[in-house]
Amino acid sequence: MTTKPDTQAERLSAFVDGELDLQSHLALEREAAGDESLRLRIEDLRRLRQSIREGATYHAAPPDLQASLARLAPERSVAARASSHAGVGRTAAAAVSRWLAWRPLAASFALVALVLVSADVTWLRGRAQERLAEDVVASHVRASLGQHVVDIASSDHHTVKPWLSARLDFSPPVTELSLPGSTFLGGRVDYLDGRPVAALVYRQGPHLVTSFVWPATGEEADPVFGHERGFETAHWLRGGMNHWVVSDLNRNEFRIVVDAIRQQEAAR
Amino acid sequence: MTEEVNWRRFEALALPHADAAYNLAKWLMRNDHDAQDAVQDAFVRALKYMDTFRGDNARPWLLQVVRNSCFTWLKENHPAGLTSIDDEEGALEIPGPAGDEPHAIAVRQDERARIDAAIAALPFAFREVLVLREFEDLPYKDIARIAEIPIGTVMSRLARARALLRDALAPGARPVLREVPRPTANGRA
Repeated sequence: MTTKPDTQAERLSAFVDGELDLQSHLALEREAAGDESLRLRIEDLRRLRQSIREGATYHAAPPDLQASLARLAPERSVAARASSHAGVGRTAAAAVSRWLAWRPLAASFALVALVLVSADVTWLRGRAQERLAEDVVASHVRASLGQHVVDIASSDHHTVKPWLSARLDFSPPVTELSLPGSTFLGGRVDYLDGRPVAALVYRQGPHLVTSFVWPATGEEADPVFGHERGFETAHWLRGGMNHWVVSDLNRNEFRIVVDAIRQQEAAR
Repeated sequence: MTEEVNWRRFEALALPHADAAYNLAKWLMRNDHDAQDAVQDAFVRALKYMDTFRGDNARPWLLQVVRNSCFTWLKENHPAGLTSIDDEEGALEIPGPAGDEPHAIAVRQDERARIDAAIAALPFAFREVLVLREFEDLPYKDIARIAEIPIGTVMSRLARARALLRDALAPGARPVLREVPRPTANGRA
């Protein structure tokens, strides 16, 4: 973010929100390391934030409101469905790619003429994956630098899962790892790929491992391993969930951790 | 075709955020009936303009529509409630607890009510950025879009909102708080 805070209060407030650019964030951390009163002010802000997040009332939509919103849309008819499939060929390319992205299963209905569009989409997805890898690493680094790796600190997935579910529009799979030297630190809500995602944080020896999860449509995919700015990454899609794992572990250990995450999750 | 796609997208992208929409409306309107009306109005408009939405996370977009519904309604019905931001240096006035029990006891008995009251007492402009940040965990750039203000203003209003809340919630601050009538924007007594 390029906007600079005007006052110290704004600076600290943006700091606890993780909204300072990395350079300012690090500068403030260095400053705080040698300044007790500054550290106390930051702690104070974090406590306030926590008491609001945990103590204030979240007003969920009453059931009758939910029901009346769902009634805003007309009943779907079989004819309407059929015409929507038949209409695909006439639709502008952009609309089709949006539609495909939104309902990937319907891709099997795609006409030959759509192959070019699909190729475009694939290329765009490749670019999107690269950007996503950068974002995943940045988020992991930001959290470990900010010493704010979890919003909910608990080694018990029965505590972490409901906490995350209450703050997200999905319920993420939350697992502990049964690896020697592995500790489950808890979870936080993060923002990736244009949406809030669940971030689960583990400590493996001296290394941090962050596992990001969010719902995704598309075909199941086995882990793809990568390397980004000195960090190991892996991503896969299973059970309707996109997974991205990132760590500063070495490659072999990282693969062991990824295997363990996948096994725990499959065993749930 | 368009209508069918529109409402399928509405169902997939907008409806899941009904809770977020109502939560924002309830905090902005400060009563259930007006909040429900604002959400209804917002979702009708969202359905109508679904085809203008691009992307797959409709929550900030939808919250912008909800916020506009609330803002428009308040401007027409309780304009005074929107202008209190001028009083930036004023102390936060927390409505007194219902009944005549001593303030301190009520406060100790109900920490949640105390935090809720402190947030509800924030001027509209501070309340909206705080709710979007703390309840919805939105990044500053989304809050800026929703509230139609620059990112720098999001930053300063959040800092100010937190300063007001911290003062209001600090144990030692209680004696200096005055009991005041509930704000007029609050439809219920």
